[in-house]
Amino acid sequence: MSLLALLSDYTLQNVAIGAALLGLVSGVLGSFAVLRKQSLLGDTLSHAALPGVCLGFIVGGGRHMGSILAGALITGALAALVMLLLTRMSRLKTDAALGISLSVFFAVGVVLLTYLQGGNNASQGGLDAFLFGQAAATLRSDLWIMGGISVFALALVAALWKEFKLVSFDTQFAATLGLPVAWLEALMTVMIALAVVVGLQMVGVVLMAAMIIAPAVAARQWAHRLESMVLLAAVFGIIGGVSGAMISALARGLATGPLIILSLSSVVIVSLMFAPGRGFVWEILKLKRDRRQLRYQQVLTTLYRLASHHSDPGYRLDQGMVDAYHRTNTKRALDRLMRRGLVTLTTPPSHEPGQRKQWVLTAEGYREAERILDSLGQEASA
Amino acid sequence: MSDTLHEPNLALHVEDLTVSYHGKPVLWDIDFDVPPGVMAAIVGPNGAGKSTLIKSVLGLVPSVAGHVTLFGRPYRGARRRVGYVPQRSSVDWDFPTTALDVVTMGLYGRLGWLRRPGKRERAEAMAALVMVGMEAFAGRQISQLSGGQQQRVFLARALVQKADVYFLDEPMAGVDATTERAIVDILRRLRDQGKTVIVVHHDLQTVRSYFDWMLILNVRVIAQGPVNDVYTADNLRRAYGGQIALLDDVTAPHPESPAAATSEDKSVGKSADDARNPPADSALGNIARETP
Amino acid sequence: MVYRRSVFAAALLGASTAVLAASESEPEPLDTVVTVGMLADVVETVGGDCVAVTTMMGPGVDPHLYQASARDVHDLDAAELILYSGYSLEGQLGKVFERFSRIKPAQAVAEAGMDDAQLIRTQDAYGVDPHLWMDAGLWAQTVPIVADTLSAQRPSCRDAMHANAEAYALELEALDAWIEASIASIPEDQRILVTAHDAFGYFGRAYAIEVTGIQGLSTATETGVADIRRMADVVVARGVPAMFVESTINPRTVQAVIAAAEEQGLTISIGGQLYSDAMGDAGTASGTYIGMLYANTTHIVKALGGQPAPLPPALGDWARRWGIASDGAGLSHASEEHAGDDQVRDEQASAEDTSS
Repeated sequence: MSLLALLSDYTLQNVAIGAALLGLVSGVLGSFAVLRKQSLLGDTLSHAALPGVCLGFIVGGGRHMGSILAGALITGALAALVMLLLTRMSRLKTDAALGISLSVFFAVGVVLLTYLQGGNNASQGGLDAFLFGQAAATLRSDLWIMGGISVFALALVAALWKEFKLVSFDTQFAATLGLPVAWLEALMTVMIALAVVVGLQMVGVVLMAAMIIAPAVAARQWAHRLESMVLLAAVFGIIGGVSGAMISALARGLATGPLIILSLSSVVIVSLMFAPGRGFVWEILKLKRDRRQLRYQQVLTTLYRLASHHSDPGYRLDQGMVDAYHRTNTKRALDRLMRRGLVTLTTPPSHEPGQRKQWVLTAEGYREAERILDSLGQEASA
Repeated sequence: MSDTLHEPNLALHVEDLTVSYHGKPVLWDIDFDVPPGVMAAIVGPNGAGKSTLIKSVLGLVPSVAGHVTLFGRPYRGARRRVGYVPQRSSVDWDFPTTALDVVTMGLYGRLGWLRRPGKRERAEAMAALVMVGMEAFAGRQISQLSGGQQQRVFLARALVQKADVYFLDEPMAGVDATTERAIVDILRRLRDQGKTVIVVHHDLQTVRSYFDWMLILNVRVIAQGPVNDVYTADNLRRAYGGQIALLDDVTAPHPESPAAATSEDKSVGKSADDARNPPADSALGNIARETP
Repeated sequence: MVYRRSVFAAALLGASTAVLAASESEPEPLDTVVTVGMLADVVETVGGDCVAVTTMMGPGVDPHLYQASARDVHDLDAAELILYSGYSLEGQLGKVFERFSRIKPAQAVAEAGMDDAQLIRTQDAYGVDPHLWMDAGLWAQTVPIVADTLSAQRPSCRDAMHANAEAYALELEALDAWIEASIASIPEDQRILVTAHDAFGYFGRAYAIEVTGIQGLSTATETGVADIRRMADVVVARGVPAMFVESTINPRTVQAVIAAAEEQGLTISIGGQLYSDAMGDAGTASGTYIGMLYANTTHIVKALGGQPAPLPPALGDWARRWGIASDGAGLSHASEEHAGDDQVRDEQASAEDTSS
């Protein structure tokens, strides 16, 4: 299947555009949720969308998409507000409040769903496609709705950028500036419901949580400022979405929604491992580098100390002796020091036994050792 | 002994303030006045309500009773004249932003909705960073700053608001000695410019050397007024309960106390006994001096 | 004391004889729980007044995904007999039936009624295609099984039930022939049935029409992009005039294929809503097994350019009962309505496609 043929395929275009829009919105809105420590908000709101989907079906009659999505938005927003009220008015922390809101709304949703399925209505088939999504069946009409919601969400974030930023960082200070903090917090929480509505048909209720969290978490590893984090999250979201769509087009029986999530997850894993300054691999490399650095310094200062002990700056040492002092093989360290011009190998004078070359400090090495000991606050003897 | 100053002449006037949390009183019937142009400390044992007092003045915490005015006006009307430095721990410092960015946030109130901070705002923020000695760290991520540096960034953020009264919540907790000195210097400069500085302070040892006005608080007001009048063993004992053993050391007058300075005496109700030189004897000497 | 005990025993004996006599003269209807409507229809027709049928899965319910609720378990517990289709059609209920089969009669009717050679084997985890009711001739083989199973529980009704069974078998035979004739009227190059999932394997084999579905045998899997594209390529290559949605499945997969085909220049209409895994609304013609296949065939034939054959006399009774004329007029409104809905939506979609 040539790449060009793939890219120009109508179905894939629809799915990829839809996935890209979803990734974009999830990345941008999810950044705020993650920074405000409400990562599982996406999970709660998407599960809470289920009763809304069922109610929208009951009200709109049949599979009228508009009323179903409106229902999802309404119950999602309600669940968010319930969560906020629980945290403000009781001693519950955010995680417990999210859990309660999620369970209650989802339970209501399942009851409604089974009631609808048990009822004698021959057109309710396939409502449970909302549980896991049916990304491959994205239609052009869906794209218009998704696009509209995405534009609205992005405009909202752009207009209230500095307010969102400050409230996410320091709610108390924001309040003293006169910002309506409670309203802004509610808005930031509820707008996640917009992302959920966009993603409902593509990845479904269960996987939406990952869409909200993954791009933001990945972006956080690389970004130093909120502006770049949100932008990067959007980019990651888009890349994950489009990759998932394209991979699922390669063979039959590959579900698109989960593949989008898997693509995003691999971006997250790579970011967690390799991001400079924060990545896991980075930390390990840094640790190793620091240890090596310390080893070089140790070896150099040992040579220095022995030299000063014998009052002979040109004091020579066998490889074996250096090893013995450090109780480990120091050849590599010594080679490295030699490359930096701090020690050198010389042949022993003819009157001494043994043919092997010996290590000796250079003048620069001598100074460097003094400098190290000085900076450590230890005495460098003259 | 003291003149009753009119409210507009007071930087802060708190009357009958009562705040409760889950039914238990945190602040009870607080009457507290701060004249303009002083550096005031709020001290008290843990749980005394010191942070709550500031937060309730600023409207961050609801009160059960009482009213508060700043320069004679309610807080909402006086917002522009107030600068706030919250506790460092109230914020997650792992947020992706730079020192300059945080200071710029202090200007958001002035910008209003929809306007973005531009060159002018950034220049002002930079100037504030210079004032606290952090200009070299302007582009540094705040997660990479030390405690003292973070505190200074917070202070710069308040400075940029160009307020008339500043509230600081434990600004010197957990900072190194150099930073503490630097902060005190900045606050003193503010006071010398005529600003009012009100600080929740955690360290009894340094109150007298840093501040010229003080409130001792333990749910209720224990005592308030010029530092040398208020800082007595008796008051401290009433506030802190059984920690008397420390008091003898603590109440010995500190050579750097403002009372020893010859600059204008800003304390309310000064008595004729101006020429108070710190006595060389112990705390008991202070008590003997407390005359109605 | 001995005297009193024997009096008591005699009274007891007398009472129970009276009760037995009473029950023998008027047997209680057999409390039967049946899973899918297609089977329930057979049970009701054969059993008549001798059975009281509770159908677990109503119209529009997907049996592949259906999970037993507490109410269902209660009904199963109270039932005297449990009948289900088998071959993993009721995929999620396997364990439930296994448990109940230990304490009461439970019969996998389709499994009992079929010869191995008659089954369509598949490559996937299913092994066997469970949609046997799509072939009226095959489904007719369940009728004697049902009659025997019911009679075993209610011997007094045996004669009545067997009479019903014979009559019903005749009807199904006639239906079988009618479907074959009707399908044959479709022009050969258009004789291809494209649906949302592979439910029509037996239909295709029995009535000589090519069938293909977007999803596989079970609706439990999620459709992939490749599935949509493959189907779009197939329908475009074959020039298929119409595709069909199913009552138990979200129509979007079909709409996606139609949109993709549209993009490639072929206009496909939605030929109607077919009943694949469940029958139509109760109280309508399509709410019966005969009506289900009748409606399906009528939609398929008309949409693909054929002409349904006139109804045979054996089905006359059934047609009169449900007010169906021989040309299909009077068909249940419900299925017409849904076909209309889908067509409207389809037209909207194609309008948007051409304008974007």
